[in-house]
Parts: sequence; structure tokens; C-alpha cells
Amino acid sequence: MSQQLIATEEILSRRILAIDDEEANVALLRNLLQREGYEDVHCLTDSTKALEAYIDLEPDLVLLDLMMPEVDGFQLLEAFSRHDAADEFRPVLVLTADTTIQARRKALALGAKDFVAKPFDVIEVGLRISNLLETRLLYERLRAAPGV
Amino acid sequence: MSTLPNSRTTRFWADRPLAYKGVVVIALPLAILIGALASLYLASNAEAEAEDDVRRAFAIQRDIYQVRAMLAEAAAGVGDYALTREDRFLEPYERMENQLSPTLQRLDVAIEDDRVQAGFQDLLRVVEQKREGLRETIALAQSPQPSTQTEIEESLLASKMTLDAVREEIDNIQRLEAIVLDERRALVDDVRSRFFALTAVSGIVGLLGSLMAVYLFSTGIVRRVSKLEQNAEMLARGERLTELPEEADEIGRLSQRLVGASALLRKREDDLRASEERFRLVIERVRDYGIFTLDTGGIVTSWNLGAERIKGWQAEEILGQHFSQFYPDDTRDYLPDQMLERARAEGAAEDEGWRVRKDGSVFWANVVITALRNEAGELQGFAKVTRDMTERRRSEDALRLAREDAVAASLAKSEFLSRTSHELRTPLNAILGFGQLLEIDLEDFSQPHQEAVERITRAGRHLLSLINDLLDISSIEAGGAELEYEEVDVAAMLEEVHDLAEPIVSSAGLSFEMALPEAGAKVVADRRRMTQVILNLVGNAAKYNVEGSFVRLGASLDGDGAATFFVEDDGPGIDPANASRLFTAFDRLGQHKRDKTEGTGLGLALSKGLVESMGGQIGYSPRKPGSRFWFTLSSQPTENSRPKADQES
Repeated sequence: MSQQLIATEEILSRRILAIDDEEANVALLRNLLQREGYEDVHCLTDSTKALEAYIDLEPDLVLLDLMMPEVDGFQLLEAFSRHDAADEFRPVLVLTADTTIQARRKALALGAKDFVAKPFDVIEVGLRISNLLETRLLYERLRAAPGV
Repeated sequence: MSTLPNSRTTRFWADRPLAYKGVVVIALPLAILIGALASLYLASNAEAEAEDDVRRAFAIQRDIYQVRAMLAEAAAGVGDYALTREDRFLEPYERMENQLSPTLQRLDVAIEDDRVQAGFQDLLRVVEQKREGLRETIALAQSPQPSTQTEIEESLLASKMTLDAVREEIDNIQRLEAIVLDERRALVDDVRSRFFALTAVSGIVGLLGSLMAVYLFSTGIVRRVSKLEQNAEMLARGERLTELPEEADEIGRLSQRLVGASALLRKREDDLRASEERFRLVIERVRDYGIFTLDTGGIVTSWNLGAERIKGWQAEEILGQHFSQFYPDDTRDYLPDQMLERARAEGAAEDEGWRVRKDGSVFWANVVITALRNEAGELQGFAKVTRDMTERRRSEDALRLAREDAVAASLAKSEFLSRTSHELRTPLNAILGFGQLLEIDLEDFSQPHQEAVERITRAGRHLLSLINDLLDISSIEAGGAELEYEEVDVAAMLEEVHDLAEPIVSSAGLSFEMALPEAGAKVVADRRRMTQVILNLVGNAAKYNVEGSFVRLGASLDGDGAATFFVEDDGPGIDPANASRLFTAFDRLGQHKRDKTEGTGLGLALSKGLVESMGGQIGYSPRKPGSRFWFTLSSQPTENSRPKADQES
């Protein structure tokens, strides 16, 4: 943990958007994030509203399921990267029960920054979330620094 | 040649080489010319000789006259001297004494004829007598004792008589010489007439010989050459040459070769015709292929049994008809012409499609049209081979449908597996996730609740491994297991697995022994799946060996490039009655009830599936005490193994 660079409070204050069509899994994520201390957590079970939420909320991190009815995670990954500016670093952590190598490759190719298969280890997922947010904060800080 | 009389001479002449004949024809007139020239030369020689003889005879006559004249003058002078004693009358005598000897010597040389020579010798004698008489007379006249007139007269008279004898001898010689001259002349005439006769005869003979040679040349060569030319023309027309000429010269041999060539040509022609006939008969009897020919315009010109069987037309019905009627309505207008055009341009044209039978029914045909060209490359027509492929097309269709069904079924199965996997994992995620969150706060719960939480998570994890194994087995059975083959170093691999499994074995209180093969041995396998199989076997050994003291992992190399991996223990072993059910899914042989050991009951079934899909075998053999599980892997790539595409894990 690189606590020297980014303060824990700063990470915990960041906005997280979790998208999963399964109510129980959304509840698990919300529970996990609250326990970790995250304050700004938004959850969605209807993937058709995900892009709208993504645009409105401008989350710092997205937790995304892949297999969802109507609009699946791959389509959302494409939509997110179309929406974001080229120099934006807004990480997406894919959490899916599809364990095939094809799904893993496709998600990473479409811009997902990390991939964890369900059922996952809650501690591991918590660590990956904080790592990704830390990376985003460092990136923002670098971008804001003069002369860089 | 039959036009010549077959006599021995003619035959001999005909057999001579052409060079010989040429020499003879040229040499005959030449010989005649040389003969004539020689006789001319001889005749002129003889004539010159005769002329010399005549000239010599005249010289002899002149000299004899001179001798006679000198003697006569000397005698007259001596007579006058005797009477007068004046010295001037002795002048002719002295001249005679000076000139007579050279003249006589000349005559002696000139006279060749023996008879004349004999006369000449007589003459010499009387001339000597005469000279003696003259010398006596002069001596008498000069004697100091005056001789009587009578003595002188007597001497003169004797001299006169001697002179007469000389005259007689000279006349005799001249007569003889005349005879010799006449003989010479007669001889010359004889020689001349003989040469004339010889020249005439040789001229006539030469002329006849030349004519004969020309005749022989014209008959024996010119005529035969023209005959040869006719034969060559016949040969060119392909007619048969039967006469075998017997002459041994070049023309004769050439003619013989032509006849030989004609025979060879005829034999080849016969062979070709026989081969064509055999081929035609073979083609006619072919039943499975419709084979027929078309002229350049597409009119059917031959028809075999196969064509009759496939298309339904008898030969007599279809010969002379255009082949477009084999095509159905929708292609009849353009396809036949297109096919001929393609065959004309490319040598052959192949097509597969519907064709029409005589009764109007259609069949699926494979058609090859081949352009037939002669040696000059001119199009002679087309050969068409038609096969009825209806049955094959039907079976192909059936096969394709079956294949499509199989692919669809396989896809459906994969899709089902994938869905099942997802559907089972999704709820498990919540169960295990919440269970884990509860475990984190375990101290907050009362003892019974703590146990409940532990049960939930343990059961959840068991369910997860069941799901994983089940999906593995299903995907192997569906042929969907994605194996990534590579060369695996056996010893290094076993060391790695040893490190991984060490905690499991030692936590069961057992020693972990290794039996490594020699370094460098390799097998071709999917490394991850191979590890999975070994871990499963080691895990089983550790789990069930509650009485023994060790687990042994090792491998041995077979002679044929395969390796046998084994896991041994000194545990209770397997009941022989149950050994046959070892590799059956979910059949735990009652172990879980007896020993409460954890397990899905799928491990060995999964291992068996994995080993077999990698081309190996798996098995069990009892030890005393304990068990031995083994499996084999080949060092050669199996037919379904492929090199590992990338290093993706």
C-alpha cells in the first residue's frame, strides 16, 4: 500500500459506481465498500441506465458485471471509452462469473483495467479497488502538475 | 527390277556399287580413246621406220654408184698412165685410194640385211682384186726395165675383167637391196593395215561398250531411281510396298529400306487400329460413366453404354442430335455453348450441376468436356464424360446436415456449459462473499452462529469446487477442453509439483518421497492439466493414507519414449472389489461416510478425462501395503496435440 503518496481519506472519498443485474451481488458490493469506509457509492441493477449514470455521476471507479440482460458489460465498456476523453483514466474493474479466457481477453481489450472471476475473495476485491483508485488519483495529480 | 532380264550378268552388274558403275561408264570411252591413240602412235612409228629404211637404201645405192664410178675413173686413168706415163693420169687413181675406204666403211655400217651383206663382202673382195690389179699395172708402167707392151696389155685386160666382176657384184647388191626395200615396204603396209583394222575394231567395240554402259546405266539406275521415287510416293500416301528388290547396290538397299519402312508403318498402323478398337470396345462397355463424343458444333457422334444408362437415350436415338438437350431449361440457352467455349480455350471444362434424362427427370452430374485436337492443333471435336452424382450429392447433403447438426449441438452444449457455469457461480458469489464478510467479524458472533457461518462458507467452497470439476469433466466430454500442449521436462515438473503439494502431505503427517527419472526426459502435454492430475493423485494419497507413513511421487521412462508417472502410498489400499469403480464420477466407494473425508467424488474421473484427452492412460495397482496410481504421457505429439500458441495461462 502506498499510503505515503495518497491519503486513505482521499481514496475513500472517491465515487464508485457498481453495476450488476443480480441484487444479491450488488448488496454484497455495497456491504463490502461500506465496511472498507467508502462514502460515495452508487449501485445499479438495470444496465440500461448505466451509461446515463456513468455520464451524470462521473465516477472515479466502475465495478462492472459482464453478463447482463439487454445491455451487457462489453457494450458498456465500449460506450464508456467512447464517452471518455482520450487522456482520461477512469478504471473499470470487471467482476464476472464468466471464467472463460475469451471473456477475460475481450474485457481487457475493451478497456477494463482489471478482471476478477466470481465467486471472488472479498478481501482481494477490496484491495484491487483501493489500488485502482490510488492509480487514478496519482494520474490526476500528474496531469494537474505544471510542466508535465 | 523386273524389267531387266534376270541373267547373271545383269544381276552381277546390278549388284555392283554405284561408284563401280560410274567408273565403268566413264572408263569405257576413255579406254577406247587411249587404245586409238596408242595404235596411232604405233602406226606413225612404223611408217617413220619404213621411211628411214628407204632413205638408207637410197644412200647405199648412191655410195655403191660412187664406188663403181671411182673404180671406173681410176681404171681409165691407170690405163691412160700405162700408155703415156704421164703422172696426171694417175689423179683419179689417187682420189680413189683416198676416198674408197671411208665410203666402203660407211656401206658396211649401212647394210643390215644379211643377204646384201654377203654380196657386199663379195664386192669388197673383187674391189680389192681390182685395186691390186691397178697397183700392178702402175708398177709395171713405172718399172725401170721397160715392160713389154704385151705385159701391160695383159694387165689392163685383167683389170678390165676385174672391173666387170665389180660391176656384176654391184648390180647384184643393188638387186638384193631392191628386194629388201620391197620387203620393208610390204611390211610397213602390212603393219599399217593391221593397225587400221585394230583401231576400227576397238572403235566399234568401244562404241558398243559405251552404248551398253549407257543402256545399263539408264535401265539399271535411272529406271530404278524413278521406281524408287514412285515407291517413296506410295509410302508417303501410306500404301503398302510389297516388292522386295534384291539388288545389293545403294539404290537396291534404299529400296529395301523403303519396303521395310512400309512394313513397319503398316504394322504400327495395324497396332494403332487394334488399340483404338480395344479402346473403343472398353469405352463402349463402361457402365458407370457416360462417355460420348461431340463434333465441333456440339452434335453427338458416339455414345456408350454408360451414357445410355445414365441419360436414357439409345445410341441410335441420340447420334446426330445436339447435346444441349441434356441441359435443363434454365441453363440450356447458355451453358452448353459456354462449356464448349471453355473447353476450346482451356483444353477441358468441368462442371457439376443438374442434367436432364430422356424421360425428363433430372440428375446431379459431374461433367468433363475435353477438346480433341489433331497434331496440327486443329479442333476435331469434344469428348464428354458424365457421371451421375445424385447419390453422392444426397449423401453429401446428409453428411453436411449431420455435420451442421453436430456443430450446432456442440455449440449448444458449450453455450449450455458456459451458461450453467455463470448461473451457478453468480449466486455462489453472494453466498461466499457474504460468508467471507461474516467470517471477518467472526468474533462478534456467538459460538453456534460462528459454527453456522463456518458451515455456510465450507459448504459454499465445496459447492464451488464441485461446480468447477463438473464443468471441467463436461467440457472434456464435449470435446471442448482447450489443451495447450508443450514440451514438459519431467523431472523439473515433478519438483514443482512437490513444492506445491508439500504442505498438503506434511499437514497429513506423512513424509513426501520423490523418485525422479534421469534429467532431460520430456513429455508433450498441457502443463496446467498435468499438474492438476498429479496434485489430485497426491491429494488423494495424503487424504486417505491415515495409517501409513509416506506418499511417493515419481516417474519412470518407457523404452518407446513415453513416461509413466506414479503416486504411491502405504495406506489401507483399495478394496479389490471396488477397484473397477475408482474412476467413476461421484462414486466415492463409501469413503466419505466412513472417514468423513472431504471430496467432490470427481477428482479421479476428471484426471482420467484429462489424461486420456492428452493421449495417455491412467490406472491403479495395489501395493502391499498401500496403493499405486499411475498414468502415462507420450514424448511425441499426439494427433490432437498442437504446439502451444502462446504463453497465456
